[in-house]
Amino acid sequence: MSHQRFEFVVIGGGPAGQKAAIQGAKAGHSVLLVDKMGHHGGECVHRGTIPSKTLRETALWISGYKQHAHLEEKVSCDRTVDNLMRRLDSVRTAHERFLEDQIERNGVERWHGRARFTGGHQVTVEAPGGPERTVEGDHFLIATGSRPRTPNNVPIDHEHILDSDSILSMIYLPTSIVVLGAGVIACEFASIFASLGVRVTMIDKSERPLGFMDEELVERFLAHFASLGGTFLQRRVIDRVEWNGTAVEARLEGGEVIRSEKMLCALGRVACVRDLNLDLLGVEVNERGVIPVDEFCRTSVPHVYAAGDSIGPPALAASSMEQGRRAARHALGLPDPKGSGVLPVGIYTIPEMASVGITEVQAMERSGEVLVGRADFAELARGQIVGDTEGMLKLVADPSGRELLGAHIVGVGATELIHVAQMAMVGGCDLESFVDNIFNFPTMAEAYRVAALQIVQAAPRELRRVS
Amino acid sequence: MSPESTTPLPEIVRAPLAERTSELSLELPMLPDTASRVMGLCTAEDCDVRELAELIERDPSLAGHVLRISNSAAFAPNEAIVSLQQAVTRLGFSVLSEIAVGVALRGQVFRVPGFDKTIRLMWMHSAAAGAFAKDIARTARRNVEGAFLCGLLHDVGKPIVLTNVLDVCKQARVRPNKPIVETALEEFHTTVGAMLVERWGLAPWVVAAAEHHHRPEEAGAHEVEANVTNLADALSHWALSTRDVGDPRTLPSVAALDLYDDDMVRIMAGREAVLELAAAFA
Repeated sequence: MSHQRFEFVVIGGGPAGQKAAIQGAKAGHSVLLVDKMGHHGGECVHRGTIPSKTLRETALWISGYKQHAHLEEKVSCDRTVDNLMRRLDSVRTAHERFLEDQIERNGVERWHGRARFTGGHQVTVEAPGGPERTVEGDHFLIATGSRPRTPNNVPIDHEHILDSDSILSMIYLPTSIVVLGAGVIACEFASIFASLGVRVTMIDKSERPLGFMDEELVERFLAHFASLGGTFLQRRVIDRVEWNGTAVEARLEGGEVIRSEKMLCALGRVACVRDLNLDLLGVEVNERGVIPVDEFCRTSVPHVYAAGDSIGPPALAASSMEQGRRAARHALGLPDPKGSGVLPVGIYTIPEMASVGITEVQAMERSGEVLVGRADFAELARGQIVGDTEGMLKLVADPSGRELLGAHIVGVGATELIHVAQMAMVGGCDLESFVDNIFNFPTMAEAYRVAALQIVQAAPRELRRVS
Repeated sequence: MSPESTTPLPEIVRAPLAERTSELSLELPMLPDTASRVMGLCTAEDCDVRELAELIERDPSLAGHVLRISNSAAFAPNEAIVSLQQAVTRLGFSVLSEIAVGVALRGQVFRVPGFDKTIRLMWMHSAAAGAFAKDIARTARRNVEGAFLCGLLHDVGKPIVLTNVLDVCKQARVRPNKPIVETALEEFHTTVGAMLVERWGLAPWVVAAAEHHHRPEEAGAHEVEANVTNLADALSHWALSTRDVGDPRTLPSVAALDLYDDDMVRIMAGREAVLELAAAFA
């Protein structure tokens, strides 16, 4: 029996798979995209990034509204999440249509189904409803994403105890919610719900949330979270969780019990690789359940690539897209992309946070000496205008005060502002460039000039260009 | 799932029935008082479980039904539930309120004198659809809380249409035989059901599920809820053997909800528990 054959078979239709498929097709290769979801865009569009950011925009609008005392509006729990997310359909539809158009325009064939390897160069695709078909490929990309981790002592029922896949299926905003975890997803949802008037308790075993971020940013985030009525319980270990019929009970080691109307379990995600039958090919999966890859996203089997959440951190949509493109180009013999490797991180908490490069602590560990400049948004005219007096931009420079090693921002526009620092690092601009050049007034970007000036003035006099 | 093929209604029945079921002229029952108060309690910010138990206790028939359903396998009690307070503790506020709303509707809306058997089947079908809808929603990571009501009320227009078609036939001196009744039910129940739940002030997704459960693709923003209800409707018919729906795993709503064979096998394995729940509701 002959099977269809494609030069490039992409398994998974999220950010990594989508971009890889387009990249391959644009170069004139035959590409098949297999997606377990019927709609385009994967979890990112339907359960992850797009829906949560839409809810966040609403929360921002409401919290911004609240800053004007004369317009203050109470957000009560009878507000339906559906209403709060009423823009979601139009956002999702527009994004999905764009992706669908891209796939069709570039001649990518798309199958709705779950794929598993049934031969070295062969996968079988099971469509919802049962029918299967088999296809052969020269190269494969595994971009199957991840799913929420479900610890044994947290009985997720998607009704009272939810995970990040089901949290936005709630009809009503609860009066209270416990968020387990202190990573990106936990902090994003905790701050969104707190901004919407929900009583939020975040519980984690760590000392502080977002351990990989600059401590000063996290402190400001926590201060804002507390000002909204949120509580962060640090160094707590969950013994067990149960729904007692009227409330969710989080029983902590030591006997403490925290009750809430709902619970979000955000204790990490695991790569969706289990059902791919990777053993058949000998594709290595490490002890953390992710697929190790080389710089070209190639797995231990040369014609099989992997990208996105299936290869582990950073597991961000932006990095996944880049990995997908890189894998496709290498697999199909195209020139490798000339990316700098400078990766910005954006966290859509309220207030939002972003960073690029290394933190002050990392810089100290590296060279033992570091120069730091800070700009409080309260000192900026634009900061006062937009009502963000809590935000901050922090620049980290080498001891000479010339080389920008990292930038860290918390506050309005952080995820956009960070790209100024990213491009400065990619272009090799020194700190004095921020002082020498003109920024629009009034803008948040002025923070760069303020922070850079502090560093330049603190730098050894003999090394300064600007006095 | 598409409704069964039906023979055209005689115009002498269809025209007055269409006239009656137009929005302006249809007489619709009020939402039963107990159901209304239970729903009000559910959405209140300071909802109180004791208040719910007291509300149910005031209606002995309702209290009896609630206890019977609470003890069915669908809710899998480890030991028999013998009091409402115990039911509140074991099942929780939302489950208990769903049961109470269902029982209240059963007594006051699903009631057509002389058609007890038909109505009983309709109600069992609705209760089973509610239970399946919850499980489908849970599996598909969709809203679980709202799914039960979507399933329970998807055919709520049928008893209203049945009452009206009997009345129209009587006035037109036409015998309300099975094809006429079935055709009238299929043709009008979604419109009437949607009007009814909308007038009761229920959520837009419940209205959409009642109106579009045979054509989920037309449900716009509530296509997911309509698909969940469509599949729950089919599974209920499959479980109760009230209609040949073929293999439910091959229905378009299965693909629309991104459910796979293992998901469907697991949902369908709950058949016995759902049947027991449906019998308890009836």
